[in-house]
Amino acid sequence: MSATRIEVKDLVVRYGDAVAVNGVSFTVGRGEHLTLLGPSGCGKTTTLRAIAGLEQPSSGSITIDGQAMFDAAARRNVPAEQRGVSMVFQSYAVWPHMSVYNNVAYGLRVRKQGAADIKANVERALDLVQMRHLADRAASKLSGGQQQRVALARAVAFSPTVVLFDEPLSNLDAKLRAEMRVELRELQRRLDITSVYVTHDQEEALAISDRVIVMNVGVIEQIGTPEEIYNRPKSRFVADFVGSANLIKGKATAPGLFEAEGGTILKTAGGTSGNEVAVRTAYIDLVAKPGDNQLPGTVRQRMFHGDFVQYIVECACGRLIVRRPPTNLLDEGAPVTLSFSPEHTVLLQG
Amino acid sequence: MTLLSGEMLRPRRNWQAIVTIAVVLIVSFLVLLPLVFLVEESLNIGDPLAFPPAQYGFANYLAIFEEDINVLWNTVIIAVMATVMAILIGFTLAWILTRTNVPGRETLERLMELPYYMTPLVGALAWSVIAGPKSGFINQVWKAWGGPGDLVDIYGHFGIAWVMALFEGTVAFVMISASMKSMDPALEESARVIGASKLRTTLTVTLPLVMPGVLGATLFVFAEMLGSFAAALVIGIPARIYVITTAIWDSTLSFPPDYGRASAMGLALFVVMFGMLTFYRWMIGRGNYATITGKAFRPRPMDMGRLAWVLFGVCALYVFLAVVLPIAALVFTSLQRFATVILSQAEFTLANYRTALSLGPVRTAMGNSLLLGFGVASVGVLIMAVLVWIIYRSQLVGRGAIEYLVMFPQAVPRLVFGLALLWAWLNIPVPIYGTLWLLALAYFTVMLPLGVRTLAGVVLQIDKSLEECARVCGAGWVYQMRSVTLPLLKPGIIAAWLLIFMACVRELGVSVFLMGPSAKVIAPSIVAAFASSGTELTAAMALIQTFTVIVALLILFRLTRGVTKEMT
Repeated sequence: MSATRIEVKDLVVRYGDAVAVNGVSFTVGRGEHLTLLGPSGCGKTTTLRAIAGLEQPSSGSITIDGQAMFDAAARRNVPAEQRGVSMVFQSYAVWPHMSVYNNVAYGLRVRKQGAADIKANVERALDLVQMRHLADRAASKLSGGQQQRVALARAVAFSPTVVLFDEPLSNLDAKLRAEMRVELRELQRRLDITSVYVTHDQEEALAISDRVIVMNVGVIEQIGTPEEIYNRPKSRFVADFVGSANLIKGKATAPGLFEAEGGTILKTAGGTSGNEVAVRTAYIDLVAKPGDNQLPGTVRQRMFHGDFVQYIVECACGRLIVRRPPTNLLDEGAPVTLSFSPEHTVLLQG
Repeated sequence: MTLLSGEMLRPRRNWQAIVTIAVVLIVSFLVLLPLVFLVEESLNIGDPLAFPPAQYGFANYLAIFEEDINVLWNTVIIAVMATVMAILIGFTLAWILTRTNVPGRETLERLMELPYYMTPLVGALAWSVIAGPKSGFINQVWKAWGGPGDLVDIYGHFGIAWVMALFEGTVAFVMISASMKSMDPALEESARVIGASKLRTTLTVTLPLVMPGVLGATLFVFAEMLGSFAAALVIGIPARIYVITTAIWDSTLSFPPDYGRASAMGLALFVVMFGMLTFYRWMIGRGNYATITGKAFRPRPMDMGRLAWVLFGVCALYVFLAVVLPIAALVFTSLQRFATVILSQAEFTLANYRTALSLGPVRTAMGNSLLLGFGVASVGVLIMAVLVWIIYRSQLVGRGAIEYLVMFPQAVPRLVFGLALLWAWLNIPVPIYGTLWLLALAYFTVMLPLGVRTLAGVVLQIDKSLEECARVCGAGWVYQMRSVTLPLLKPGIIAAWLLIFMACVRELGVSVFLMGPSAKVIAPSIVAAFASSGTELTAAMALIQTFTVIVALLILFRLTRGVTKEMT
């Protein structure tokens, strides 16, 4: 039993002349929850659909449980229905001409399970999403959130080992989305499944994943745990796309040292080359702490957001954005000292 | 479950590939082969009945210009008159029904479809009863009032064009109102806000914007009118005015039948119509419709005040001339022993219906038409559903070619296609000429564009992921079609079934050539009855046919309303 459930190697997907996915490689471990994150058109959905067998790649290979599902070199392409994976679609794809029960039972019937097994499995799946009381309802008479639950129940009813999620929450309103996020995480834990999840919502990606892959224009920018992605962005794109960060231009002068434009010397987490550092807006304190990079500045603008307060502070490195808890409000024009640890001053590559 | 045997790793889509190749072969056999026969025959200058031809040449084509120049002249004059009338009527009605607050707008819009479903054949019969010389109803009344001679005579160029415009010009209304509906009302409103009057807005903003749509409709209608047959057959032949379609028909009736001549004329007509339709597509596709998007707007109708009732009168007049008056005239005629509007002389009877329903040939013809309608619609829609799926959903290499093939019969005038099928099946050594089988095959072929277009409208509305989800759940192609695609297509399938059924029951152009003595169908039988027996019996037959179509139409309206309600 290998620890790798899915292996994607040098995957390329072309649409005519356009290249949607350009040489993507990664692995997903057993029971791991991996998220592909990126802006629209970055190739994340295409990658997912290639794993499902709904998109034919031009080159590379896809292996699930050691079995080649797609292999351009060996001219092998297993049809979607024989890959044994399951998928939740962005549009839910709940069949409007069937009842909730029949929707969920579909995958079980395809697998020719006995009537009693089907009933037991459908009820188990509907219980998971708290939809058992609506089993006989026509699928066309469900609300968006209910359809979402049915799609989820249908995807897990036949006990697949791999479930693919294609932006499953993007059609829900913000509050429901937050609720479903919690439930989804819970469901992933309870069922022994491996999941690949696609989203453009960085908050969602960080919240529900074991590992995140940030993609841009068909290639992988960074792979890492949510904390790594957030704390150690490798590139300007990742720093900018995930969370909010201040980008300071300058030049790395020595290991752990960075000279910002204007001459200020900042201590960084390490690295010897690069001409930009990222500092997360949430990691800047307005009270000086020993050992930190410290910069005197003036509050230029204050915006009250409720959960946090955003200050724009003018300092030697230009205007930096600082987000603080909404306690101890500072006035515009107040002198402050910006303080952030070298560990959170991340040198970006390229 | 994730254990895969080696044989599962074969390249995918075996099933689809087999089905596709079979489909391409069968459809090109049905659609293209007859035309190949037609081209060959048109070049035959030896014995017109010899196959394959002994001598080839262009004499048949040259003869069109040498001997039939007056036929071409008639065709153009009548088509121009009919197009002008159809566009005027269509534009006026479209403007009234989309841009003004005319009372009863929705009902009127529905009624506008009726003349199309009545068919030009029934319309021509009705108008020959209404406006024929001497015995026509209008002339009877005129004489009863002491008027000298005949007031009107439908048997002329204008008469033919009038019937064509009334019953085949509906498409002009549909196309022009579509282009008016797709115009952003803000374009007009901004003119009004800046200070332009209603009239000025209409002239300087509305008209220029819908002009491309009107031009497109003109081109399209003109091409249709060139290939129009029924009105020219019913009204033109008694008046000895031949247009190209009736000339084709006539040369196959001579003895020996001059199929070479007919083929040359048919192909010439096909080429001209095909050219015009291609030009029309090019014009539409060129995209100078920047302001007219595909999006449908709900135009804010202009308030016409008391004038609205005048506009209502205009619409009502059209419905009266194209629906109420013809039907009333036919009903009135069919219920009399000898048709007259002078009530004191009228002898009312149901004998015509009794004859129509009991007379052997008429009864079998009606029975055959219904049988063909049921058969072709039932078998046809299933095949068409698969075709539509292949064209619009699969990723097969040949799907573009299939779409082109399937839509091809639309570009061929019905009558020419009938002629091509006649000649092809006279010479293909399968003895189905003169049987219902050939008619069924021919109906299926010419109904392909109608059925495929109707079904495609539904298929394109179905979210693709509904099917993909079935595949990911583990269903193969056949199981996915059976459990997801076909059930979702059901409303579209029912609509397509009814449309094909109606089209089969009223089919004339192909039927006149392919009907055999033991395989008669209703529309050509109506024409034959009009030529040989009285108008009274013919009227009864036409009404029975119309009634059948209208019942199907009512079911369709009821169903489509149900479907749209369910969707909203």
